[in-house]
Amino acid sequence: MKREIPILLTILCGLAITWSFFSPQPVSQAVNDELLAWGTVFFSVAFLLGIGNLVRISLKQISARHPDWPYKALLLVVLFGYMIIGVAEIHGWFGIPDGQNLRRDWIYERVFQPLQATMFSLLAFYIASAAFRAFRARSLEATLLLTAGALVMIGQVPIPPFFPFAEAIGDYSVRLQGFLMAYVNAAGQKAIIMGAALGTLATGLRIVLGIERSYLSE
Amino acid sequence: MAKPLDLDRRWIFLAIGLLVVGLYVAGIAAEMPVNTYVQSYYDTIEALPEGSIVMLSADFDPASAAELLPMYQATIHHLLKRNLRVVNVATWPAAPPYTRSEFDDIAPVYEKQYGTDWVELGFKPGDDVAMGQIGQSVTSAYNKDDRNGGPLTDLPLLEEVGDSFQGISLLVTMSAGYPGILEWIAQAGGRYQIPILAGTTAVQTPDLFAYYPSQLSGFLGAATGATMYLQLVGADVPELAEATATNQSRMLIQTGAHFLIIALIVVGNIFYFLGRKEG
Repeated sequence: MKREIPILLTILCGLAITWSFFSPQPVSQAVNDELLAWGTVFFSVAFLLGIGNLVRISLKQISARHPDWPYKALLLVVLFGYMIIGVAEIHGWFGIPDGQNLRRDWIYERVFQPLQATMFSLLAFYIASAAFRAFRARSLEATLLLTAGALVMIGQVPIPPFFPFAEAIGDYSVRLQGFLMAYVNAAGQKAIIMGAALGTLATGLRIVLGIERSYLSE
Repeated sequence: MAKPLDLDRRWIFLAIGLLVVGLYVAGIAAEMPVNTYVQSYYDTIEALPEGSIVMLSADFDPASAAELLPMYQATIHHLLKRNLRVVNVATWPAAPPYTRSEFDDIAPVYEKQYGTDWVELGFKPGDDVAMGQIGQSVTSAYNKDDRNGGPLTDLPLLEEVGDSFQGISLLVTMSAGYPGILEWIAQAGGRYQIPILAGTTAVQTPDLFAYYPSQLSGFLGAATGATMYLQLVGADVPELAEATATNQSRMLIQTGAHFLIIALIVVGNIFYFLGRKEG
């Protein structure tokens, strides 16, 4: 029964969702609505599982004095600190009326936003370093890729007016970039999308029909 | 003797740092010719009758705010200036504070009222599933007003929004990745036949060409797309003049960075092939 019930549930849910895509009847839409609501609840529960797992791994590394243990401790402090502040503000524990997330907003705007923006900005430095060290025209395919990449990069930005032949370079680079993106890139993307869609359909069918059981750890 | 390819990468970091800071200080603005995709984005919004309801989904976080926030602000200006009404949702947890602060700043400019001209429904967990649920029924997917915490029945705008996107004329997503534009196309575009517009990051932009114009009516690709769109919308919106000039000057910073990266690729390859020749 440990195998049969999950397989049966998967088949029923898969068929119900598929049915709702093709049938506008109220019954199919109601079933779909209900299943989507369950899906959202499961997704939220997965957050809790994720937090549980994160806490378990972090505590293990802290107790084993792993070289990164101070970061793990900081992670737990921030995780629970932010959570406690959020819950406290929702329930008005600090005497703040509901809907005014002053402390949460402060942390978000003064800590989270600049940190995340900084992390992302570092990409520019690493890409520049990788451009010098790793992007090699070792084969015809790699040469084509690098050339196309360089042309798209030039076409994506304005050419400064003080550049020699700025207008002509700008005009041609935009046209070339447009051609590469709208024809070469789009054609390749469409082929990949169609292939992936067919693969997804086949995998979905295998799961719904109970042939694919890897989600049961089989 | 040290080989050129063994150059300490901190010199490269310094070069790009100096270049970016130098061009930032110089602050030279460059106008961008508007491409088809941005023009279609603009025209789609322009073609909507006044009073139409638009769903605006904030699917990004601070990491991509440099690219997406200017186009998000310009889109809000454009929608409100045209007297369109906006239902705000989010599938990324870090997005709603942006919605809150931008509408707080922009709505008073056009004398718009919360509840009748725009509503904030907030973050919905569940990725694609949440999008499917929002498409199925907005009022079932959300159970309260995210701004004031009250029931949805307090929001008159939602009385005109039915199941299966009934009442909504357009879906606009500011998308930084998963879940985002591709999931909205799969969950809402094809199923409910609702036109979709997107603003995306540079990384995601190449994926979108395959969907234009059938599944995607127009899109803003990265800072470039944002600058073009700001030029269109900002032409008669004084509040966007500074943002437009800032984005135009940032485009030249990007030009500098792109040219430096291309130069590094060329120089790196020259040294690589010279090294191989020498054995």
